[in-house]
Amino acid sequence: MTNITPSTSGAGQPHPKPGPPKARFRPWLVRMGENRVVRTFGPFVPVILLWWIIAELEVFPSAFFVGPGTVFEKFDELIAKGILPAYLGDSLERLFYGVLFGMLIGVPAGFIVAMSAWARKLTWPLLMFFQAIADIAWLPIVIVWFGFSLTAVTFVIVYTIVFPLMISIVSGVEQVPRDVVRAARSLGAGRLQVFTEVILPGALPAVATGIRTGLGYGWRALIAAEIIVGTSGVGFLMFDSRRAQEVTGVFVGMIVLGVLWFALDALVLAPFERRTIERWGMIRTAEAGR
Amino acid sequence: MRTLEISNLHKEFVDAYTGQTVVAVGDVSFSIEQGEFVSVLGPSGCGKTTVLNIVAGFDTQTSGSVLVGGKQVDGPSPERGVVFQSFALFPWKTVLGNVTFGLRMRGVPRADREAVAHQYLELVGLQGFEAKYPHELSGGMQQRLGVARVLANEPEVMLMDEPFASVDAQTRRKLQEELTGIFETKRPTVFFVTHDVDEAVFLADRVVVLSSRPSQVAEIVTVPLERPRHWRSALDNPDFRHTVTYLTDLLAAGEPNADESEDAPETSAAAGAVGEG
Repeated sequence: MTNITPSTSGAGQPHPKPGPPKARFRPWLVRMGENRVVRTFGPFVPVILLWWIIAELEVFPSAFFVGPGTVFEKFDELIAKGILPAYLGDSLERLFYGVLFGMLIGVPAGFIVAMSAWARKLTWPLLMFFQAIADIAWLPIVIVWFGFSLTAVTFVIVYTIVFPLMISIVSGVEQVPRDVVRAARSLGAGRLQVFTEVILPGALPAVATGIRTGLGYGWRALIAAEIIVGTSGVGFLMFDSRRAQEVTGVFVGMIVLGVLWFALDALVLAPFERRTIERWGMIRTAEAGR
Repeated sequence: MRTLEISNLHKEFVDAYTGQTVVAVGDVSFSIEQGEFVSVLGPSGCGKTTVLNIVAGFDTQTSGSVLVGGKQVDGPSPERGVVFQSFALFPWKTVLGNVTFGLRMRGVPRADREAVAHQYLELVGLQGFEAKYPHELSGGMQQRLGVARVLANEPEVMLMDEPFASVDAQTRRKLQEELTGIFETKRPTVFFVTHDVDEAVFLADRVVVLSSRPSQVAEIVTVPLERPRHWRSALDNPDFRHTVTYLTDLLAAGEPNADESEDAPETSAAAGAVGEG
């Protein structure tokens, strides 16, 4: 075997063989890589394959671990029965209200704390304190106050979103370069104009990060709240399935959560960032598709 | 007519760590005539940027006065546009949005401000780039935009704080030549801070040399060069070389530790650099 290699290369041939196949293979791979669909879903193929193999080999008993096929059937069934769409609708509605109120409170509050040294001094210790109390740690008292209601769940989501949002906005405003503010002032901008023309867009990357982080926390808090408050929703679906010793439902719920986050990122967050901060060259998003 | 008049400017600040009072600007007085280009030259850390910041209204003096167009400086104003070393463009605005910013702040109607903007973009050679964002331009183009943005406001005086220090050497030469061209056509009043002797001499009508901290005006040197100026001819011009050598000596003498080592090596190094450049 070892002799063959030197002898072929020793023949002094310009190796016409390895060249063309490589050339044909490369563009094919590159072309695959350029395809958005392939790039988005490609990485999941081996994961699903591995999942399927483990399930087929019956490494774990089916009461603990089910394969993609079973989960897909269950998914189909839940959709047909209308349970999944209804629960999903409930979860998204709660998330929507939570995020809406969270942003309505967090964005102005963040800018007030960021812009006023006084407000910062007064509120910073409070911010730190309340940020440290985990969202779910509020659930017991929230349930006492609001019962097992939409209000209780919304409260927890608002709570989780407000603090990271405020803290990112404060650091975002601090990161607006001093010279850019000075440039605006020396071009004739007044204090209000500096805020609307410089501070707001300048802090946008941080606001976007804050919304992303806040949404992620909010989404997790929602599921946790639904598991505990539990009347409907994706979190409730998972918890209810577990109670019924039905692992498949839990799997469905987990996948739905992942897919939803993916969709939210691809349909809302990423396009917004592409059109603003990325267009302006302020940051490059980590997202592969561009 | 004097556009800018600085008298007995003095600035102290308290160091946040040591609690000591530091004198950043000792006693600085000089003035700039309308349509004059003045370079302020000094060793790094001599407080020349502090002087500029006080003139711009970003910082306040401990004592002394700064008059622009006969009025006491009080905070930033479009009468004193600043070109920054860091460019300080608005990344979220297009080239056109950056140039029209000052006019828009002052309430100039859209059609008028766009007409003015096009005129200044053409002046700095950025016509056709109106819809681009700053990050899509090269460093040199970004600073040309910085100049156009200030000039479009037609300020009493344009303040430039080492504007070409963060571009590469070749681009810097080009930008200096372009700035001279712009100055020769528009005749704005320019206050230009730099630590680069060649640059100070090439651009200016007069060079104000500041000593190291606490800074004072060591000397004001009139540059005996005709306009229009070009690097090609300036470098061959003995007057240019003599002025550069003279200023280099002056700066070297002002250095705290330069006394004992004589000025000879400094001078020859500078002369070598000039001959090469």
